[in-house]
Amino acid sequence: MRTLLTRAVRALAVIALLGMLTMALPLLLTGDPAVAVLGVEATPEQLAAFTAALNLDASPPERFAHWLGGAVRGDLGTSLVTGAPVTAEIGERLPVTLELLLCGQLLALAITVPVAMRSAWRPGGVVDRISTVLAYLLLSTPAFVLGLALILVLAVGLAVLPATGWAAPDDPVEHLRHLVLPVLTMGLTEAAVLVRVLRADLIATLRTPYILAARSRGLSPWRLLWTRALRPSSFSTVTLVGLGLGLAFGGSVLVETIFAVPGMGRLAASAIEARDFPVIEAVVLLSGVTVVLVGTLVDLVYGVIDPRARHAAAH
Amino acid sequence: MLRRTETRRDALVPAACVAVLALVAIGAVLAQLLPQLDPLRADFQAPLRPPGPEHWFGTDATGRDVFARTLAGGASSIVVAAMTVAVGLVVGGGLGVLAGFARGWVDALIGTLLDVVLALPGLITVMVVVTMVGPGRLTIGALIGLIMVPAFARIARSATLTVRGQEFVQAARIMGAPPLRIIGSEVVRCVLPAVAAYSFTAVTVAIVAEGSLSFLGFGLAPPTASWGGLIAEGRTHIATAPWICLAPAAVLCATVLAVNVLGERWGRSRP
Repeated sequence: MRTLLTRAVRALAVIALLGMLTMALPLLLTGDPAVAVLGVEATPEQLAAFTAALNLDASPPERFAHWLGGAVRGDLGTSLVTGAPVTAEIGERLPVTLELLLCGQLLALAITVPVAMRSAWRPGGVVDRISTVLAYLLLSTPAFVLGLALILVLAVGLAVLPATGWAAPDDPVEHLRHLVLPVLTMGLTEAAVLVRVLRADLIATLRTPYILAARSRGLSPWRLLWTRALRPSSFSTVTLVGLGLGLAFGGSVLVETIFAVPGMGRLAASAIEARDFPVIEAVVLLSGVTVVLVGTLVDLVYGVIDPRARHAAAH
Repeated sequence: MLRRTETRRDALVPAACVAVLALVAIGAVLAQLLPQLDPLRADFQAPLRPPGPEHWFGTDATGRDVFARTLAGGASSIVVAAMTVAVGLVVGGGLGVLAGFARGWVDALIGTLLDVVLALPGLITVMVVVTMVGPGRLTIGALIGLIMVPAFARIARSATLTVRGQEFVQAARIMGAPPLRIIGSEVVRCVLPAVAAYSFTAVTVAIVAEGSLSFLGFGLAPPTASWGGLIAEGRTHIATAPWICLAPAAVLCATVLAVNVLGERWGRSRP
């Protein structure tokens, strides 16, 4: 119970500090932020309106308190560029990014679990070596390079898929065709990381006595891996997949830029370019809060799933 | 027989990695010195030339030599990566040793501050700050380094905790050595190797992050050459002149791969 309370207090402290840090961002601009954004030709009325709209005269803690007060009521301010409420902008973009992320993570898991199992079963064997080399190659390929390579092969070379763009789900076939390349890019990049992690954890589990006992009873390798070894080996992988969802708010900039997908990442990038502070602040803060909450939840879920973790925390 | 080929290959792979990194480094230096390798010299007579004996990696849309530009991009990556590691080692390593040695409320405070950095969306945060303070190799390197501080600090902290409990540190404390001197002499000497091993990862993250930023148009501004920027420029010609983006992309991947492999060997060679 005490650990639960300390966790909660710490999570709240992190969110409060994060909020103030985010609200201090406009201070990085040299001189008056209003002049820096609107330019020297702006009239005093325009400057005053800008300062008032962003509440720039207040200190970062005050601005964060104001932001939080609005956020609780579902008001994240208005975009300086479009004049639309930030919640509406995000509501339009978030489903697109969430769909990409979920499909990407599912693909990554679909690749990771069998490959990591087969590799961990015979470390140093042929499959393990090939998968290790492939994982290293993928790990060393940035997402924007992998995306361009996929475009070059599948869209330009074979011409089976559209290179960029997005289609609404109203047209399922076109929607899926536009989904393939971004999801492949995300899934392959993620799988390279996950395979290494899950493989190492599985190898450690397979060395434990209870696995040896199960093997000596004659359990088939695949059954052993699926029913006995996978669960206790999956914690790091689960954490990584969970934290990947924190990316929903802005972390998918690269993939969305390469494939011209109108998601959160593109929203963040264009907001940064236009110095649209209400949108930037919302993206950074929502992303941060998601990461903190997921991190705290994963910590708590550990204790529920694995008694050993509960035990370790008490010491 | 089998063992001999094993050891031969074991020595060959690191040697190849070192060779790749040495070539990138030498190329980066030569690009600053030789006028033939000026990344901005444009040959307007020969735009979009495919790779050949005259232009090893071909030329781009304005006739600039892609090979020269790739070498110059390497210089940017080296500067950014060096700055990232410096900031990570000094700030992250320092905070980690402090937290691990002092424990108590100092540890909790540092831990909370690092959690704040961890919660920030890394790439987005760097993009925001770069647009406000202006791009530059050292600025971008320092920002990536700051984002990586929590990782450095965590490794330094856990290494410090291990060292702290050992007899020679206990002995020094009992003998009345001031805490700072213990940190200076005993702890740092034992913690540094652990943190240094992580620097390999930091270098790959820095190279990829700088490439990503420049690719997105939020990194190094032209005329400073950067692998990410070159790849972004080549993207518009990907169907007709793929070498403009493929050549720097291949060098970028080879460099990151070499650092990854060397880092893994380094980490495995230590207990």
